[in-house]
Amino acid sequence: MGHDNILVLDGITKKFGDIVALEHVDLSIRRGEVHVVCGENGAGKSTLMNILVGIHAPDGGKIVFNGKETTIRDPLAAGAMGIGMVHQHFTLVPSMSVAENLFLGHHLRHFGFFSDRQAMVERAGTLIDTYSFALDPEASVRTLSVGQRQRVEILKALVFDAELLILDEPTAVLTPPEVEELLKVITNLRDRGRTVLFITHKLREVKAVSDRVTILRRGKNISTHITKAVTENDIARDMVGRDVFLMGRQGQGARAFGKNVLQLENVSITNSNGRLLLDGINLDVRAGEVLGIAGVDGNGQTELAEAIAGLIPVQAGTIRLDGTDINNASVVRRQEAGLGFVPEDRLDRGLSRNMSIAENMAATNYLRAGILWRGFVDKGRLAEFTQKGIEQFDIRGAKPSLTVGSLSGGNMQKVVLAREFARDPKVLLVSQPTRGLDIGASEFVYSEILSAADKGNGILLISSELSEIFALADRIAVIYSGRIMQILTREDADEETVGILMNGGKEQAA
Amino acid sequence: MINANLKGSLHALIAPLGAIALTMALGFLLVAAISDEPVLAYRELLFANFDSLSNFALFLNRATPLVLISVGITFAFRAGVFNVGGEGQLFAGAIATTVVGIAFAGLPAVILFPFAVIAGIAAGAAIGWVPGILKVKLGVDEVVVTLMLNTIVLLFTSYLVNQVIRDTTAYGAVSWKLPEHIWLPTIPGIPGATSGFMVAVVLSLLSWVVLFRTHWGAEVRSAGTNLRYAEAVGIAAGNRVITAMLIAGGFAGLAGALYVLGIGHRFEQNFSPEYGLIALTCALLARVNPAASLFTALYYALMLNGAAYMQISTEVPRSLVMLLTGLLVLLMTARLTRKGSNSQTFDAF
Repeated sequence: MGHDNILVLDGITKKFGDIVALEHVDLSIRRGEVHVVCGENGAGKSTLMNILVGIHAPDGGKIVFNGKETTIRDPLAAGAMGIGMVHQHFTLVPSMSVAENLFLGHHLRHFGFFSDRQAMVERAGTLIDTYSFALDPEASVRTLSVGQRQRVEILKALVFDAELLILDEPTAVLTPPEVEELLKVITNLRDRGRTVLFITHKLREVKAVSDRVTILRRGKNISTHITKAVTENDIARDMVGRDVFLMGRQGQGARAFGKNVLQLENVSITNSNGRLLLDGINLDVRAGEVLGIAGVDGNGQTELAEAIAGLIPVQAGTIRLDGTDINNASVVRRQEAGLGFVPEDRLDRGLSRNMSIAENMAATNYLRAGILWRGFVDKGRLAEFTQKGIEQFDIRGAKPSLTVGSLSGGNMQKVVLAREFARDPKVLLVSQPTRGLDIGASEFVYSEILSAADKGNGILLISSELSEIFALADRIAVIYSGRIMQILTREDADEETVGILMNGGKEQAA
Repeated sequence: MINANLKGSLHALIAPLGAIALTMALGFLLVAAISDEPVLAYRELLFANFDSLSNFALFLNRATPLVLISVGITFAFRAGVFNVGGEGQLFAGAIATTVVGIAFAGLPAVILFPFAVIAGIAAGAAIGWVPGILKVKLGVDEVVVTLMLNTIVLLFTSYLVNQVIRDTTAYGAVSWKLPEHIWLPTIPGIPGATSGFMVAVVLSLLSWVVLFRTHWGAEVRSAGTNLRYAEAVGIAAGNRVITAMLIAGGFAGLAGALYVLGIGHRFEQNFSPEYGLIALTCALLARVNPAASLFTALYYALMLNGAAYMQISTEVPRSLVMLLTGLLVLLMTARLTRKGSNSQTFDAF
């Protein structure tokens, strides 16, 4: 044997109808290692994990756990065997305490009937101390931060002594300091003899935490490496199947910018409860410049974007586009004045999923692209316009007449980008442009944003993904609680400083 | 592109036709179970409408309000408003036309006829406007408002026809007859068939063009499928929703006006076998496509009238039609779910 494998997957195959989600996937996890499974969206990561916790049954292949071949019927059976899963989306009851959540559905009882709260709090406390998690077992989950909630999720899996802990993209919801904390937690878990299977597509995390890494691509396992022996680029190449460049402008010299195309002066927004959502925002974006707005979600980015786009009114301050005051202009007038808007959620504000790709792509372009003739739609011109966008943005599987809903997330995002870039806007407001996109699609979006900047468009990039901000932005403004904390030039900024500013300027308590 | 369009239209047609065929087959089994003469019963149901010109005329008359209301409802649905107020809007149009026609009976036809028609459209549109504006401005649920308005309008027309414009020489709740010079002519060659049917056909095709081939139509559908998206791309979405409801009400009002002018020649409180609700079903079965709803409306008219002939000739009760139409709705819905792709439909609801 040489190594003691806790889990071996041998030739696992899973089909959904005609679609092969997994094709002869082999995976072996050694006892006590941190093993990362990474791959692009749709590579089959989630399907594989769902098989491991018994949500899906494989169509072929075998699962060997602790040396015995097994079938995993359902998540309960998986838990009983010692496989615990921490889902990407939390499964906690906010109104209950940490201890109650840990024992949810398995309350410790007096006489088999009365819940023994005392014992549960004690057991929870012991567990928290063991892993030094800094949690109050009696605190209600509602009062906890996202990072703390995640630790509760991890404890939930550990409470019944999971030997193998599966973490499904756990960092997607965390701020950079919280990610650091989580990575420490994972190392700590390994030191205490647990085996951790970690799903991610973020290369930095792979390098930081794992012993070995297995890469899936299109339902097949491409390679397994000892993490130390490979570089991030090697991993990315295996994930995408070719060399990728997510480095943005790093290392390029100083760039020259034009005049201010977008100016915000003391812009404030109050919601109906009188709460200040944006507090005296001052920003300016110059032609050819990418200004990145870094921040944890929910600190006013949505309001900032919607205020500039004209979807919500501002109570104070001025927004100027290319020198003209657009404070009271309608959405259409702002578009005509040269504003492009890529909303943060493509299925919310970005697209109408039941309408055709052509109609979605033309929505802000009807007049400009000459698709209309006296109010009638010229179907020929519409198809031509859409086809051009599809080719230019390489929207896979797209035909003008198909509904947008039939596309994958990345290709949907490309439809939004194609629509807004087609107008060659003076100012492009881009919110979370690669959310939910895999490396290949992100790379493409990055290059489009950079080339738009090179053409002289001013770009306001709002992103909660620090690596994205650092790859694209010329200057970085950090937003926290509706205020701009500081604006740094790319050269002066480093991830740590920005991370601290994102949390309000204070080191987060561990 | 043209191919895709043709395929799309065919698809919209084939879907209800298939369900209709299956319904009829299943219905035949039902009839065979309760009747000794299933073939005769079915012949009456399906073909008695074409036995004579007068039967055919009645068939077209039955279809006319259905086509108009369901085309109107299509505008509402496409704008994301679940308008179940077709009945109220229809009654509002019918009563307004009647009141105008009776009150200004002395005016010449060139003035009175358009006046009466416009009054009908305006009354229907006004009833449609209420739920529209309430939904857009205050977020009030349109289903509740349209349902409530149905009752309000029906009771109000009942008051008018019983207390104000009742024909005291006639039996039942009917108004005085409209002056003959503003009656709608019949279709040449088909005595008794209202030319309103031709208006309905033209308008249904025109509506298809407006909804699917104009910028305005695209804006309405954007607002209907995703209001927040529509706002973000610069469409005055609330405005489109309200306008669509004005049109929906206007169509139903027109249906009422044309019924009074071309078929009933007076307002009768019981003139509608729930046209508003049947038209809603027609619109849904046509997958919210105004051109296709022309055909689903014709089908429903065929069934409604055919059932009466069937009951006269055989012992099969006309309520069988209720069963058949229910079955049809079931099959249409089942089909959609099985394919799991309501991408072509109105799944904004």
